[in-house]
Amino acid sequence: MDFGLTETQELIRSSAREFLEQNSSPEVVRVIASGDDEAISTLWKSVVDLGWSSLTVSEEHSGAGLTFSDLAVLLEELGAHLAPTPLVESSISVWIIERYGSDSLKSELLPQISSGEILVTPAIVERDASWDPESTRVAATQSDSSLIVSGEKRFVAFGERATHALTLVRIYDQPALAVIPIWQAENVEKTPLDHASGVPVCSLSFNEFEVGQSNVLATGNTAIEAAKELIAVGSVARSAQLAGLGRAVVNATVDYTANREQFGRAVGSFQAIQHHLAEMAIASKQVNHLVHVAARSFSRDGYSIEAAARAKIAASDKISQVCWTAHQCHGAIGFTWEHNLHLYTRRALAWKTDYGDSAFHQSILAEALGL
Amino acid sequence: MRFDFTTEEKEFKNQLSSFLDEALPEDWHGPADESRDDHWALNQQIKRGLAERGWLVMSWPKEYGGADSSPMMNTIFAEQMAYRRAPGHDRFGTRMFGPTLMRFGTEEQRKKYLGSIARGEIQWCQGYSEPNSGSDLASLQTRAIDKGDYFEVTGAKIWTSLAHRADMMFMLVRTDLDATPHKGISLLMVDMKAPGVEVNPIINMAGVHSFNQVVFDQVKVPKENLIGDMNDGWRAGMTVLNFERSGIDYAAWARAALEELIDYVKSEDSEVNSLKSDPTVGRKLAELQVEVEAARLMCYDVSYRQGKGEIPSSEASMSKVVATETYIKVLDYGLELLGMYGVLEPGSNQAELQGRFFKLRMFYTSGPILAGTNEIQKNIIAQRGLGLPRK
Repeated sequence: MDFGLTETQELIRSSAREFLEQNSSPEVVRVIASGDDEAISTLWKSVVDLGWSSLTVSEEHSGAGLTFSDLAVLLEELGAHLAPTPLVESSISVWIIERYGSDSLKSELLPQISSGEILVTPAIVERDASWDPESTRVAATQSDSSLIVSGEKRFVAFGERATHALTLVRIYDQPALAVIPIWQAENVEKTPLDHASGVPVCSLSFNEFEVGQSNVLATGNTAIEAAKELIAVGSVARSAQLAGLGRAVVNATVDYTANREQFGRAVGSFQAIQHHLAEMAIASKQVNHLVHVAARSFSRDGYSIEAAARAKIAASDKISQVCWTAHQCHGAIGFTWEHNLHLYTRRALAWKTDYGDSAFHQSILAEALGL
Repeated sequence: MRFDFTTEEKEFKNQLSSFLDEALPEDWHGPADESRDDHWALNQQIKRGLAERGWLVMSWPKEYGGADSSPMMNTIFAEQMAYRRAPGHDRFGTRMFGPTLMRFGTEEQRKKYLGSIARGEIQWCQGYSEPNSGSDLASLQTRAIDKGDYFEVTGAKIWTSLAHRADMMFMLVRTDLDATPHKGISLLMVDMKAPGVEVNPIINMAGVHSFNQVVFDQVKVPKENLIGDMNDGWRAGMTVLNFERSGIDYAAWARAALEELIDYVKSEDSEVNSLKSDPTVGRKLAELQVEVEAARLMCYDVSYRQGKGEIPSSEASMSKVVATETYIKVLDYGLELLGMYGVLEPGSNQAELQGRFFKLRMFYTSGPILAGTNEIQKNIIAQRGLGLPRK
């Protein structure tokens, strides 16, 4: 078993670090969290120019054709820098379109996603805040060549900027997953939410919204399978971000406690603080390993729902705790708005619940264990 | 208290509860944000009402405006105020500085200040921590130079709650540079309006202006504002901390939050409607109720011992650790139950419970940190309480 990175992954990691140091500094993170639209566009444009939006798009659709493991390495760095870009939303949508889309839909959408002409974001959750695809209530009726969609999707990340929403609906009793063009569309109301993730999140309310039949990706059981896979791939993507975030918080806390002096010595020389940091380091490593095993399981042929669940359970619970312990180690300074630590904590809390919290994934894992 | 309240204690609790029903705005969820003028006005109004009824300082002697009650009455008061998240309870004056002044102040100082605290007339703040002196408080550097007729104070205090609303500060200053750290410290009272005092706001991670940095530039402080003997301020200053270290507010906040969650789970209006059918939710809420009740009893024990004349520093530290951590457990579970709604900031569209749990969780991250970190408290418990060796 090899715990090392491939050459490609090393390259991805080092170039990502270099770029994000410059372009996703705490100042940029703060500006975007306060709602600066232009800063989001600037960052996203650079990300697209670097080719990150096409990383996992297959070569036949103008992508780089890299693996999900490769992407996870990049997402870890994004998490470590709290990068406020829709790369997770876009990449997991790509993953599902590659796996479930018809040839014509793939040829239409994937090259445009790669080039940044369009941005697809998932819209799964509804009022009851459930990630269970079976609980979908947003309804569609079918006419000759189109669907008429009514109902509300909530917690849609970058929903105001996305051109398309990868949306789960019900056509009468049949589930369907569709790529719905929402950019400047009539009959879609967008309600902005003030969300701890520090990126724009909104609700989408469809009012007899007409979508072409060709936008449907999957129906029936296949749609449910595709939605489950979307949630699994999303949960591993968030876990990879959390792994990077956890590592960054451990490093920052080591730095702070090694330099902050009380009682004539570094506070990091006290056993109580050392034990806190040791626990944080253990947690961060555990999450890292589980995430990379989970990411490795995703291929064009399938994935391990158990590995994805294990990664998300650990990442959700352990990394948020890493942040809280970091606050304890930082003392009062880490409790201020001015200090950057709360930016990490807010992200960790937002990602903890996104794509299913640990209770949700524990149920999946229990079911997979035959319980 | 034989594991139950006396009739007098129960009656008082009911009276206070009725008073708060009247005094608090309808649909008040708190906590008050004292940087907001309307909340500060409410704070002052409620404080006056409490003072008129003689409730601010019940355990004080009658001659200083108290009622000679047991410390348990104060604890019941603090608990009820916190449980309702009501403003108007000046912890710095009534709970910390007043008792210290009674013990260390001159008769003249007691006459001058205790009455005004009992009547809720002046707001106090506490000047202890400095940018480089947190847990290691005795390393503090703010200087008071003896100029004959007065002291000249220069330096900076930090994390000073309510400095932006306070009339007076009690503060620890260094008066002897040559003595060992603990021996060169004195306790002073300083007028916050004195020339040379500058209050700079600090915004906390919940986005609230709750504390400040206070800078002193050659501030003249009258000699008569020295409390206790010169260079003997550490002893008096630490007594304040013994009064400060009770977890009762946190235990009460935890109970209020837990009850709010239980109501939310039962409510027909909650958006997250799968909660009722999940048996793990009920079990977890039950588990938390055990913790909340245990924390509350730990705090009662502290005031019971104080009433018997003990200085229960280990028990006080225990109550602070347990109560701050219990509150956080409740808030964390609240966020978990609210799921996707749990991470909406207060004031967001579609927030559940007005985004309160998220804000409270951010705000009370400070619980295990302030007034002596829980790590420091655990040292006290292990060393003073259990008698373990210091090194």
